[in-house]
Amino acid sequence: MLSSVEQIAFILLTVICMALAYRGFSRIFKIVKSGAEDDRSDRLFGRFAKALIEVGIQKPVFKSRPIVSVFHAFIFFGFSFYLLVNVNDILEAYVDGWHTIGSTGIAGAFNMFSDLFSVFVLVGMLFFLLRRFISKPKVLEYNPNVLLHPDVSAGGIKKDSLIVGVFILVHVGSRWMGTVFQLAASGHGDPMLPTASMAAPLFASMSADSLNLAIHVSWWLAMGLIVLFIPYFPRSKHIHLMIAPVNLALGRNTHKGIMDDVIDSSSPGADNLSSLRWTQVLDAYACIMCNRCQEVCPAHTSGTPLSPSALEINKRYFINEKGDSVLNEAAGDSLLDYALSLDAVWSCTTCYACVEVCPVGNEPMMDILELRRNKIFDGKMPDELGEVLRSLDEQGNSFGESARKRSRWTKKLDFEIKDAKIEPVKYLWYVGDFASYNQGCQEISRKLAIILNEAGIDFGIIKKGEKSAGNDVRRVGEEGLFEALAEENIETLAECDYEEIFTTDPHTYNALQNEYAKFGAEYKIKHYSTLLLELLESGTIKLKKKINERATYHDPCYLGRYNGNFDDPRKVIEQCGLELIEMPRNRENSFCCGAGGGRIWMNDHDDMTQRPSENRIEEAISLGDIKYFTVACPKDLTMYTDAVKTSGNEENIEVKDIVDFVLEAMDLREAPTIETVDLENSV
Amino acid sequence: MKVIVPLKLVPDLVEDLEVDGSGKALDKEDLKFKLNEFDDHALEEAIQLKENNGAEVVAIAIDGEGVDKLLFTALAKGADKSIKITGADPKDSHQLAKIFAEALKNEGFDLVLTGVQSVDDRDGQLGPILATYLEVPVVSVVSGLAVSGNVITLHKEYSGGFMAEYEVDSPAVLGIQAARQTPRYTPVSKIRQIQETATIESVDAGDAGVGSGSEVSKMAPPAKGKGAKMLGSAEELLAVLKEVGAL
Amino acid sequence: MSETFVVTEHLNGEFQDITFEMLGKAKSLGGNVTAVVFGSMKDKASELGAADAVISVGGSDDYNPEEYAAALKSLLNEKNPDLVLVGSTSMGMDIATPVGTALDIPVIAYCQAIEASDGGYTCTSQLYGGKMDVESKVSSPAIVMVSSGAFDGESGRVSGSPSVEDFSAEYGAGKVRFKALLSPEAADVDITQSNILVAIGRGIGSKDDVEVAEELAKALKADVAGTRPLIDAGWLPKSRQVGKSGLKVKPKVYIALGISGAPEHIEGMKDSSTIIAINTDKNAPIFDIAHYGMTEDLFDVVEDLMDEL
Repeated sequence: MLSSVEQIAFILLTVICMALAYRGFSRIFKIVKSGAEDDRSDRLFGRFAKALIEVGIQKPVFKSRPIVSVFHAFIFFGFSFYLLVNVNDILEAYVDGWHTIGSTGIAGAFNMFSDLFSVFVLVGMLFFLLRRFISKPKVLEYNPNVLLHPDVSAGGIKKDSLIVGVFILVHVGSRWMGTVFQLAASGHGDPMLPTASMAAPLFASMSADSLNLAIHVSWWLAMGLIVLFIPYFPRSKHIHLMIAPVNLALGRNTHKGIMDDVIDSSSPGADNLSSLRWTQVLDAYACIMCNRCQEVCPAHTSGTPLSPSALEINKRYFINEKGDSVLNEAAGDSLLDYALSLDAVWSCTTCYACVEVCPVGNEPMMDILELRRNKIFDGKMPDELGEVLRSLDEQGNSFGESARKRSRWTKKLDFEIKDAKIEPVKYLWYVGDFASYNQGCQEISRKLAIILNEAGIDFGIIKKGEKSAGNDVRRVGEEGLFEALAEENIETLAECDYEEIFTTDPHTYNALQNEYAKFGAEYKIKHYSTLLLELLESGTIKLKKKINERATYHDPCYLGRYNGNFDDPRKVIEQCGLELIEMPRNRENSFCCGAGGGRIWMNDHDDMTQRPSENRIEEAISLGDIKYFTVACPKDLTMYTDAVKTSGNEENIEVKDIVDFVLEAMDLREAPTIETVDLENSV
Repeated sequence: MKVIVPLKLVPDLVEDLEVDGSGKALDKEDLKFKLNEFDDHALEEAIQLKENNGAEVVAIAIDGEGVDKLLFTALAKGADKSIKITGADPKDSHQLAKIFAEALKNEGFDLVLTGVQSVDDRDGQLGPILATYLEVPVVSVVSGLAVSGNVITLHKEYSGGFMAEYEVDSPAVLGIQAARQTPRYTPVSKIRQIQETATIESVDAGDAGVGSGSEVSKMAPPAKGKGAKMLGSAEELLAVLKEVGAL
Repeated sequence: MSETFVVTEHLNGEFQDITFEMLGKAKSLGGNVTAVVFGSMKDKASELGAADAVISVGGSDDYNPEEYAAALKSLLNEKNPDLVLVGSTSMGMDIATPVGTALDIPVIAYCQAIEASDGGYTCTSQLYGGKMDVESKVSSPAIVMVSSGAFDGESGRVSGSPSVEDFSAEYGAGKVRFKALLSPEAADVDITQSNILVAIGRGIGSKDDVEVAEELAKALKADVAGTRPLIDAGWLPKSRQVGKSGLKVKPKVYIALGISGAPEHIEGMKDSSTIIAINTDKNAPIFDIAHYGMTEDLFDVVEDLMDEL
């Protein structure tokens, strides 16, 4: 028990610190609230219940970095238990006779947990301090071209980490030491406090007075410090322990593949804290600055100035720096001045990896998408992107080609593909831009047509009138053009007679499947991998030959991560007899080829050290003895075909589409070879 | 300073061009029209003038399919006013210039920026003809200009990378070769928004005059010369490179 | 006998190629050929031997659109020739139509061919980016704007002693004032001297593909050149621009990658000894003047070629 003077002093200290903390926390509330509207009020109970369970089992943390996550779990469980410990210690200090040492039953179990968790926390914390200050992993560093808040460049995160680390060590360490001193004073150990009992004999020789003093000092170091620390929370990244569960609970519930609608169409997107949604402001407080998002970001990995974590961190440091003016003038400061550079905005491939991996439910990609909307509306974009958008507006394709030439690839086939606008078909094939216009992809389109034709499938395409589905148009921020394309495509599809749609392009799949619904259009749509698998399983496509080779498969972002189709392409590959070897980054953790989000229309950043696609090819080659790098996306086909060449790996690996395997395994005796038709007379 | 930018739609060369039954004109059926790319540069330069020096920018075009969108786009880019001339069907650059000239005389101007040329100005470029009708000086092939009072300092390009600097008193007509920056893309949402809030002024076309005094007598794709010997593979190309001494 | 006036063009005290190309053509049309010279260029009248006569309208030595057009107008108003040839050039553009329009004389631009026909001329203009030849008939008098390079300059490049006449012309109101001639910036490479050029156009996918061209150029010991849009986009320096507003080149081998062959570009490179064009659009006009062509994806071709090398 504390002396009365100590008791009063502790109460005074608590009152002062709570008052200070209240200011900090209420400011956070106001700042978050000052963001733009975003409705996350549905099913609040369910949201929080789910979040607390997931946090409780540390599920979001274990999405990556397993070893680090174990140590985090040590601290998490220990610190959570310490809430009880702290309550107990206050009761011990104020309630005469409240004492747990030497107890059995519940109090004994409490002692056992507090003893062991103390050690867990200390070990965990030492691990993190050693990691940050001694082993200094590269993942905690930023590309030199990344925009950083001056306080971050000056080592602000390290300082914060050190303060938090030392606080935890001292808080938990002192509490543990207090128990040790108490055991030393009592003269015997307690089997329910095994580690403290081991240390107690070391202090047995101390006088009773010294031990009593030590007990009081350690109580103050443990409890006084935590009270002192509370006002620091609102400034520290350590606040994640409170905000992260809230952020996880209030996460987006809409499908990943659906972008948020524009809030104010007269000024779309966001350029500053007050135009960002409040949930995006909250992200800055939830961020623990672990850089997991940066580690999986294809843009950062390839050397460009985009770091999703730096974006959140900069927002946070800006808020810390500006104080109350964040609620007034500083809320209008452009994010481009402090959060991320314009080049970074255009470097994002919208692959969703940063959102997927984030342990606290942050969505840095959404900030970027809103910034793009804002920049596009002001007409500020890379020249080459403007040219592509113009072509999409004028011709409905990104190739600067005539809309009339969209179905020209079919002319080299020795059979006629039906026009779904003219006659009814069972399957309407939405071909997409790349599969229609890119030379390499056209080859795959023709092979798919041959497969379907051979299998006797009733299918057709839209020979005139199909336009880009606009998935990436939306993701570069051109909402108006996306709407225009969607409206025109919906109209065109309404003129066609079909039962189901399939598409060769995951981006098109995402747009038609998820994003056209807001225009009142819902489609039964399949990715071609799904269609092929169905036809294989039903025996409609008959395979006569096994391809006895080893292949790896790359998940397209918009098929896998966004739409959860990981298995169909894999099953098709395996049906063709190939042995499928997985790359380390597969399924949800697939590494983007670098083409998404309109990146394929823009020039590589000057600072680019290695293209994401080349990085990926190296990953595949590191598997050793892999013959084929398999794709199921036309953009992937072009990206990886190029990457194999530019990285000098033509001898080592070959890029194949799943269609290549199916056609080969069908082993058509009279292979309907792709004829070279006289183009002159074919249009 | 009031800057007028006459805009003109021309056949999009991305499409295959065909000659119609008369053998003297393009087959309209397969044509798709787009803004003359040099006009886009002229408009961009005008908007740049407005943004950097302050100017009133007026876009003007002759009514036709796609012209409303064109004029709304100009407003969305930053033009202060758009004018549509109705009831005209110019058959060549001379008539086009005459119609613009009549409209411009009523509208008043300090500077007219036109695209230096277009893909179909058989009887000469719009700018110099327009300037003649307006009785003001003209300089063509301009890239880069600065305005100070009523004096415009500009660069005119020659071949071989040579340029000359001139001073021109306004009012004047300039044929723009290239704007100081790539013409901006205008987002569709901005155009849609402008369509709801802004209006396009309409004026009746004045006298179109008699035209250039020459007629098209025949139109045909260029006679294929010997044409290129087509190669099928890199090996063949390599052989050719060796043969012509490039290797 | 028909009377043809050739409006000469000069820069830095030298007659430009277009002058001789027009003189050669004028001569082949028959009749009397008169060269109109400006400033003090009459001093070099002996270079204009292809003309029967030279008329000097004076004015400043430095080209001035307003002054030269006014001078030509006053001259034509008095002399009334049947045919006036003006370059379809930066200089010609400011003169031909203002004079034609003011005097009600028809003007035909971008001419590649001119023939005398009953009471007038039949001219062929290359329009629509070189995708159409458009023939026009005009009665004389007519002003015809001649594309550079359309006619052979050699037959017009004859020295002699044509008669020289001074004409006192009008020069306009001085609203356009010449300030300075700006020479091209010194370049790292003079592409007019290159033996082999690898030239790139809009058809290359992105800025990154410039590297592909550079690689190929390195392997072939060639220099890289480009078309106007690429230079405007800043992908290559101005000194590498081939075409009407750039440089005229005549390398031994000209490899055109992704170049469609707009007339403005062809004007600058058509005299190359061997032209090899790679472009996915089989209808691209470049194939009409190229000696060898390929329609494969240029990236693939170059990569395959690099492998072969």
